[in-house]
Amino acid sequence: MRIHSASEILERQRARQVAGLHGRRWCRPLQLSLVAGFVVLFSDVQAADPALTTSRPQQPFSVRWASAPSDTNRVTVEVLGLSQAALEKLRRANWKTGQWQQVLSVYAEQGDLIADVGLLPMLGSYRIQSELLRFEPQFRLEPGLTYRAVFRPDQLPGQSDFRGGAISAVYQARSRATNPTTVVTQIYPSAEVLPENLLKFYLHFSAPMSRGRIYEHIHLRDETGKVIELPFLEIDEELWNPDMTRLTLFIDPGRIKREVRPLEDVGPALEAGRQYTLAIDRAWKDGSGNALKDDFQKVFKVGPPDRDPPEPERWNIQSPKSGTRDPLSITFPKPMDHALAQRVIHVMDPDGRLVEGKAALENHECRWTFAPTRNWRRGPHKVAVQTTLEDLAGNNIGKPFEVDLFEGVPRRFTNSVVKLPFAVR
Amino acid sequence: MKRITQNILLTLLALGVVLPAAHAANWTADMKEGKPAFKSMGPLAFGPEGILFVADTKGAAIVAVATGDTTPASGAASLKVEGINQKIAGLLGASADQILIDDLVINPLSRNAYLAVSRGRSSDATPVLIRVKADGQPELVALDKTRFSRAELPDAPVDGVVGQGNRTSNPRQESITDIAFFQDRVLIAGMSNEEFASTLRAIPFPFKTVANGTSVEIYHGAHGKFETRSPVRTFVPFNIGNEPHLLAAYTCTPLVQFPIKELKPGAKIKGKTIAELGNRNRPLDMIVYQKDGKDYLLLANTSRGVMKISTDRIENADSITDPVTGGGKKGQPYETIEAWKGVDQLDRFDQQNVVVLRRGEGGSLNLESLPLP
Repeated sequence: MRIHSASEILERQRARQVAGLHGRRWCRPLQLSLVAGFVVLFSDVQAADPALTTSRPQQPFSVRWASAPSDTNRVTVEVLGLSQAALEKLRRANWKTGQWQQVLSVYAEQGDLIADVGLLPMLGSYRIQSELLRFEPQFRLEPGLTYRAVFRPDQLPGQSDFRGGAISAVYQARSRATNPTTVVTQIYPSAEVLPENLLKFYLHFSAPMSRGRIYEHIHLRDETGKVIELPFLEIDEELWNPDMTRLTLFIDPGRIKREVRPLEDVGPALEAGRQYTLAIDRAWKDGSGNALKDDFQKVFKVGPPDRDPPEPERWNIQSPKSGTRDPLSITFPKPMDHALAQRVIHVMDPDGRLVEGKAALENHECRWTFAPTRNWRRGPHKVAVQTTLEDLAGNNIGKPFEVDLFEGVPRRFTNSVVKLPFAVR
Repeated sequence: MKRITQNILLTLLALGVVLPAAHAANWTADMKEGKPAFKSMGPLAFGPEGILFVADTKGAAIVAVATGDTTPASGAASLKVEGINQKIAGLLGASADQILIDDLVINPLSRNAYLAVSRGRSSDATPVLIRVKADGQPELVALDKTRFSRAELPDAPVDGVVGQGNRTSNPRQESITDIAFFQDRVLIAGMSNEEFASTLRAIPFPFKTVANGTSVEIYHGAHGKFETRSPVRTFVPFNIGNEPHLLAAYTCTPLVQFPIKELKPGAKIKGKTIAELGNRNRPLDMIVYQKDGKDYLLLANTSRGVMKISTDRIENADSITDPVTGGGKKGQPYETIEAWKGVDQLDRFDQQNVVVLRRGEGGSLNLESLPLP
């Protein structure tokens, strides 16, 4: 049971004592709890059927949570018992939100005394519909939160002499399932030996994840179990794919050996000849708010740095046969970046048009395969490779990650293409 | 946030360099009225006449919103909102844990604070724009019926490759790390979740054609004889001599300058590193301000606090080309504002004050104005 402020509980108790109480399934235990005391009262509210909680005064008003007529997945607050005269005045009132909130406010309780002092009413729309006043929250209710509607009859037009006090109704939004199911499915590069100047990891998850303070859940340790301090580029925007099932994790360029400034002070994140563990802790929450099902570890050794740009002319292309959908296969002398190799390598048919199909990587990202959606045509084809392709160390085609200024290596800035011919027979 | 422009504009006005008169009347002429669609809200920047530029990373777009919030602020004022995340949570009917504040910007006309907020942490989170006026009460900025225009940020075209080919779904996404308005352009720093590169686009405003964004890559040579790519984290326009420059803080903390006029399509821009600000640190947000007749930079960092950086003799600053060792400070002198702990975001409030978003005890976030140091 969450801890709520004494003032809230007292307010609820007062409201219910003034209003009387009415409910469905929880009516009886709630009546008992009133005798037992307000702490038990709240416990009963938590246990109530989230479909409906109601607080109905003896006369003449009542407040209840109910499904919206237009969308049964949305809940609204209804105030019943308003006189025809009051309804008519409200219908014509043309009030601003602040004025409506004087009559009916709905609060999303934050769960502690400090936070709930000065809590602002939720935004939503107010309508007079037939015999009732309806509040519809602007945003969907958050699973697991407690919402409190407070109706103040004395704020109604012509009701300033009403002596009954405020009436409230509490709604406990049903919690999401808390059964952890999401796991880390793969970390790329998948090889067991990675270059000392490795630039990035891709973390793949089985379901969408949540963002915010993610780096607390990612750790790099050496073979003695010592935590490597700040090895990653921690970017507030967090580099997710659109559905948040893949996170890109860059090694801080300042921690890549023979490189940028902080190196002299803090040393490289990865050193050749050593072994490391990339650990993802299960406390990381997925998009549903559940922790991961398990911790995940990738153990890898570190080899020499790679400062050589990829050389497509050294790739081995294995052509498919015409009239089949056999995969085209390209073997690289070294692994390529998992994401880029799937996105920036294309196949062009004899007419120069792109061949539709699906690319995949195998053999620790050393083999690229492409399965066409239609049979291969006989004739000369080309593999078109954008020069933005990177190897594991961020070297592009024709452009190493680092440029030695004294050697005068020119940089290229165009997103150009290298074409590799192959024949389909 | 990044207040871009105001300092530069004030400087240009002081120099007698006025903006083209044609622009003044036409900033909103091409806008349409309706409800702009947002998939996300990221960095914010104010332009002229209360126009707010909102970066939508998921939607790969910049949306210019005519807020209509153009009534000049009157009199001295301050701002202090404790637990701003909790207040916003109440307003949006969520728990404070589900409220992420992605940027803060102050409308230079009204001095109202605008916050880019995400209600939720998952891929279906709802982006909302929140305004905090002088009374300290956050309110939702209704965007159902507003004047706006939108510029899409398409991927750079690839020479000789047309069509989708095997790209049935594209997991590539370019995160917008900062935006700013300068004269008649929106400057956008971006970073891909695949290629390791920093891009900076300059898009003319008012947005005329949606596809004419240009992209450049910026390099700096602060690391001995090697130069490397690195993403821009935050930047501000700043006049050096009479030449408008960008001062950019990179994710690995050097402060780099380069002339804005070099921002041309396909250009190679090599920045000049003018300060090394220490290791184990990331820059978060930066503004320019004047005090006692001098210009300063105010830079919020992850682990080295808020730095007040002198711009004295910046026009003659030597480029730092040697590795910096033993503590990692070199170049433009700076002092750390020790009393300002936990600052994540900042923007200038008025001539004397800055507004910061800072972490307080117990995880609450406070929005408050502080005297410029």
